[in-house]
Amino acid sequence: MESEPAAVDVRNLSKRYGGMLAVDDVSLRVETGEIFGVLGTNGAGKTTTVEIIAGLRRPDGGHVRVLGLDPRRERAKVRQVLGVQLQQAHLHHALTVAELIDLYVGFYPNPRPAGELLDLVGLTPQRTTRFEKLSGGQQQRLSIALALAGRPRVAILDELTTGLDPRARRKVWATVEQLRDDNVTVVLVTHAMEEVERLCDRVALLDAGRIIALDTPAGLVARAGAANLDEAFVALSGKELEESA
Amino acid sequence: MSSPVIARRPGLGSWLTLIRCETKMVVRDTAGLVVPIGLPLLILMMNSSAAGGEVVINGRTALDVYVLPMVITIVMATIGIINMPSFLAYYRRSGILRRLSVTPASPAMVLIAQVVVSLLQTVIGIGAAFAVALLVFDANPPLRPAATIGAALLAMTAMYALGMIVAAVAPTPNSAVAIGLVAFFAVGALGGLFGGRDSLPDVLARAGEWLPFGASVEVLQSAWAGVPTEPLHLISLTATIVLGGLVAAVFFRWD
Repeated sequence: MESEPAAVDVRNLSKRYGGMLAVDDVSLRVETGEIFGVLGTNGAGKTTTVEIIAGLRRPDGGHVRVLGLDPRRERAKVRQVLGVQLQQAHLHHALTVAELIDLYVGFYPNPRPAGELLDLVGLTPQRTTRFEKLSGGQQQRLSIALALAGRPRVAILDELTTGLDPRARRKVWATVEQLRDDNVTVVLVTHAMEEVERLCDRVALLDAGRIIALDTPAGLVARAGAANLDEAFVALSGKELEESA
Repeated sequence: MSSPVIARRPGLGSWLTLIRCETKMVVRDTAGLVVPIGLPLLILMMNSSAAGGEVVINGRTALDVYVLPMVITIVMATIGIINMPSFLAYYRRSGILRRLSVTPASPAMVLIAQVVVSLLQTVIGIGAAFAVALLVFDANPPLRPAATIGAALLAMTAMYALGMIVAAVAPTPNSAVAIGLVAFFAVGALGGLFGGRDSLPDVLARAGEWLPFGASVEVLQSAWAGVPTEPLHLISLTATIVLGGLVAAVFFRWD
């Protein structure tokens, strides 16, 4: 029997902007049902990498598959199984939460019911509020709901909880944990070490476009000989900075 | 094993939802409605009482053959050249098109939905102007109704084509409004928006007649008055459509 393709399979990916190598020979494989963290300092190439996986950018080199599908050449198929929450996602500003959910739900053949999505991210009380009148955290939660509208098998969540207050953050984390229970694969771009510790099975640490460590959160801490993930992050990415300086 | 993935395009229901959403966006942008619906009505009011009694040709008055074609062209031009591109530029700039491009909907769906909504807006704008002209100022219907509708469709397509050029070259939503306004007033001024082209220097008057605004007024005028349409004006509108399509195809960016 043919083995199941990896949820996300990236090999030797590279992307150049002008003279700068934004992504440099990145390879990673995310298994089905895994929550996979992508970490790194600002400008490390995290967003570019996941945008290539999402088919939003064309790689200069390398190979990308999502559930065995090419995100650019099999774009329409990938759109059915991949849910994406973009960093700074803007939506129709004058539409209400309920209108936006109805709109995005309508794009998929077998969507989650609108009411369920509203509940999931706790926006039922705001259903008649226009997008422009939502707080930053509420906009973020709506954006997550929309990424999950089509019951994706793989979800890319870019800066999931940036700008959320602690309570909202916990709510979103619980949502992601529920995705794990449903066997949805999650690729999580994040700065928050607490989030990584709580959610991620494995993480890739990027620096200057390259993967400098790929391990479990506990493995990263052990490898850096650090007390916690925060220190491990600083130690590992700091070393790389000194080398390149 | 998981089931194979089938690519499914959004169905009719999804299209209707999108069109409904785009309609709400347009209606909630109240300022955007003032120009295409209010301005033509105003111009109609200011010019109609005198023009309504003066028969020009074939039993049609100055109101029928001068004022109404001008008013209808203003509705089409403001929507096609100013409003439509400013929405597209805003959607592009704000990342809405990008967000949609990671769903099974394509950004082109939004463009088509916007065209549908703006056509509705055009019909309402023209309908309101025509109704007022008919009921208040005793206007007469066109002598060649089918030709009038054909002329309006061709002219509207030309305005969209011009609008697509604006959307293609404008880097930001603000610049789209600015470029749209300049384009509108440029083709409008040369096409008789601020008074007859007779007062313009020959070269400018000729250019204004060929540009989409002037050409739209001309084709609507001839259809209304029941006189043959000059091929030159049809050619000019068609050329605008081809040129706009080409420029948009080469330069328009979804993100």
